[in-house]
Amino acid sequence: MTPPTIGIGQAVLALLAAIGFGAGLWRLVHLFRLMRIGRADPERWGRFGRRILDELVIYLGQRKLLKRPYSIRGIAHAFIFWGFLVIVAATTELLVSGISGGRHLPGATSGVFAWMLDGLSLLVLVAIAIAWARRLLFAPPHMHVAGQGYAILALIAVLVVALFAMEAGGVAAGRVEAGAAVPPIGAAVGPLVPASLAFALFAVGFWTHLGSTIFFAAWLPRTKHLHIVTTLPNVFFRSPRPRGALRFVDKIEEQETFGAATLRDLTWKQQLDGLTCTECGRCSDNCPALATGKPLDPQKIVLDLRDLLLREGDALLRDPKATGTAPAHQLATKPDELWACTTCAACVEQCPVTIEHIDKIVDMRRYLTMQEAAAPPEAQRAMTNIERAGNPWGEAVGTRGDWAAGLGVPTFAEKPDAEYLYFVGCAASFDRRNQRVAKALAKILQAAGISFAILATEETCNGDPARRMGNEYLWQLQAQQNIDTFGRYKVRKIIASCPHCFNTIANEYPQLGGRYEVVHALQLVQDLISEKKIALGAGATETVAYHDPCYLGRHNGIYDDPRAVLDAIDGVTRMEIEPHHRERGFCCGAGGGRMWMEEKAGQRVNHRRVEQILAAGDARGGRPAKVASGCPFCLIMLDEGVGAKGIAEELKPVDVLELVAARISA
Amino acid sequence: MRFLICIKQVPDSTTRVKVAPDGTSIVSDGVTWSISPYDEYAIELALEHKDTAPDTVVSVVTVGGPRTKDALRQALAMGCDDATFVSGEGLGPLGIANALASAVAELKPDLVLCGKQASDDDQGFVGPALAEALGWPHLSQVTRISSSSPGLEYWKETEGGHEVWTAAGPVVLTVQKSAKDPRYPSLPGIMKAKKKEIPERPATGLDDPVKIEIVKLEPPPARGAGMIFKDGDTKAFAQQLATLLRDEAKVL
Repeated sequence: MTPPTIGIGQAVLALLAAIGFGAGLWRLVHLFRLMRIGRADPERWGRFGRRILDELVIYLGQRKLLKRPYSIRGIAHAFIFWGFLVIVAATTELLVSGISGGRHLPGATSGVFAWMLDGLSLLVLVAIAIAWARRLLFAPPHMHVAGQGYAILALIAVLVVALFAMEAGGVAAGRVEAGAAVPPIGAAVGPLVPASLAFALFAVGFWTHLGSTIFFAAWLPRTKHLHIVTTLPNVFFRSPRPRGALRFVDKIEEQETFGAATLRDLTWKQQLDGLTCTECGRCSDNCPALATGKPLDPQKIVLDLRDLLLREGDALLRDPKATGTAPAHQLATKPDELWACTTCAACVEQCPVTIEHIDKIVDMRRYLTMQEAAAPPEAQRAMTNIERAGNPWGEAVGTRGDWAAGLGVPTFAEKPDAEYLYFVGCAASFDRRNQRVAKALAKILQAAGISFAILATEETCNGDPARRMGNEYLWQLQAQQNIDTFGRYKVRKIIASCPHCFNTIANEYPQLGGRYEVVHALQLVQDLISEKKIALGAGATETVAYHDPCYLGRHNGIYDDPRAVLDAIDGVTRMEIEPHHRERGFCCGAGGGRMWMEEKAGQRVNHRRVEQILAAGDARGGRPAKVASGCPFCLIMLDEGVGAKGIAEELKPVDVLELVAARISA
Repeated sequence: MRFLICIKQVPDSTTRVKVAPDGTSIVSDGVTWSISPYDEYAIELALEHKDTAPDTVVSVVTVGGPRTKDALRQALAMGCDDATFVSGEGLGPLGIANALASAVAELKPDLVLCGKQASDDDQGFVGPALAEALGWPHLSQVTRISSSSPGLEYWKETEGGHEVWTAAGPVVLTVQKSAKDPRYPSLPGIMKAKKKEIPERPATGLDDPVKIEIVKLEPPPARGAGMIFKDGDTKAFAQQLATLLRDEAKVL
């Protein structure tokens, strides 16, 4: 259409645009400088193929917005976003033609574009209605609902309606140039516009649309809607590590300070995380600590750090030597918040803009533990035990292999040519309940004729609890000790029955050069069943709920193998703990070193989990007889949970391996 | 003010001790060595005092073979200011007390702390013997040191309560387990401790007048298998249990 700006109008539009976009850009540059207060972060570069794919799937594809239970609002958001992209193109076109006095961008007058624009703009209006209704009627518990959100939605609605008004007026006033496509909404509404009002409507629509867009550009970087811009880099630079791997501290013995005490100790990407947060609260909605009344609120951690940056960043920019800000435990994120985290990754899983919550929490724990030696006393005891006894409980080193006595399970010293190492882990080595799981796996492996051996007293804690308690140094010592032992026996393939052992050996040992083929026992058992290397006999008919261990599921994406194993057991009906299953599985409360820390605040996480299992059973019309998992800590926590609730007889926690072993005739 | 803590390196409580073929010593291969737990509590008491009175100097000393230097490094990592290694192997408790006394004479502490006993031989001898050798008073079962004016107050645990003592001059305290667990070292503490010079002095010219000879070591008898009653008549079980407790265990 021919724009309503001739002469002075062109200049006014150019000036307004320069002021509005200039103000927005000014703010962005400032935020960029604040972000750069963070320290360097080498892992954010390279692997461009994957990063571009991320942009396509997560940014353009809006993949993470569509997760359970947010799918409807996720679709609404996706339409606002996709509509916005097309509207941005339309707005750019209007600006260009308005300032240039009638020149158009290539393709802008095509029918395809006109239909896309009007179609998506209509969907944007519908989506805005959903977004408004959601805020007013059923706001998610942890979303920050503020006037700003309403205002921004209203602004978007205004600029869309103005666009339609401009089109209708434009069509009626005959502003559509020869050869240009007639915009469909303009074509539909245009004939209804009285000729006397046509040009006025066209001009008001034009100026309102551009005026509100220009205002938006200036205002946006001062609101949480900044995420429209920052999500792009935040997704691009997201960590290439496997989700289960924490950041490696290279040359740790040469460092002078450890962990994140001040804003300067966070990386620039961690600052960008804060500037990207949309305050949607999905992380907090899914946090097991917050849900059970702990002081931790993952969204608050992200926002506290962002607010600190916005508050004190300028002072840090002025004085490059200033550390300015208080140490981690003086922040609004107090130590109790940090220690409540189970590193279950429910927050990371849900975050639509790929914020890395766990890394920040662990970095601050690293400061507390390594720099200040201020870990909670129970955590300190567990670390001392790992140091001295190679296990967090402080059980005698010499008894590590005792569980296998009389089972015909060889050690590597006895059978150096074994194909697999079964890395038993501390829980299955020392905890009586979990020793039965180790025995079950041994029985399965023997029945399948797998060549395997254990390390017995030569095995030591993989280091996972220490690392997640913030003691990177102890993790490195433990990991190195195991890597040396593996090397001595030329170990290449490892089976772990504990997801924490599995995760740290598979995903974290490569940071120290230890690369092995690592499988979780349930993956291997699933293969053995499908390859018919073990035959499972008949047994009782029973309903078994499957509880997803965080370090198997969310951290490593192993959801299907354990379920397939359960399904292969004759008579077992698998039950899902809906809606808290698969990627929304609820932590048992033991991860992140929490297994060894006291849980004083609120309800115990494992008790909540037991309630969820019962509720899911009731909802489907029958409670399960057993709840099966694939993790020793889940087993201990669930055992405690059913015991405390007095239902140990009605709901028996087991490991899937035990169910399998029971069906193998010895 | 200078505190001197006398520590002993012992097999860690998580180590399963095995008797050596000679029948009078233990197998030292595969043993994790650490500071005797009561000595760790003594270090913690001193460091806690240093936290409130930063001008306190906390020194640590041990008598033993080269391996025992690790215990000193551990103490330095926890936050002790300096360490002295007195080299001397095969000394009896009185010899060790004498060796420590000469270290005290050199280091001139205002207060000496020992664990109330070592967790390996549980003799509880060296602390009081050191007090005797120095001619200092000795207070046992100490769980807390608090500041008062002038000087310090020592809290001695008693049955169901505590006594608070003061001392006009230097004193030897033997320390009981207290509420606060010994601290976990910070990583900068560990790194600093690795590099710290530990002066060494021989434990020479010292008599060990009372030799204690170990005649024989043997592990405690293995625990017998338990018995589980299940799935049956509770009344009959109770009767059976009573019989067993009377005739077999002889506790009734």
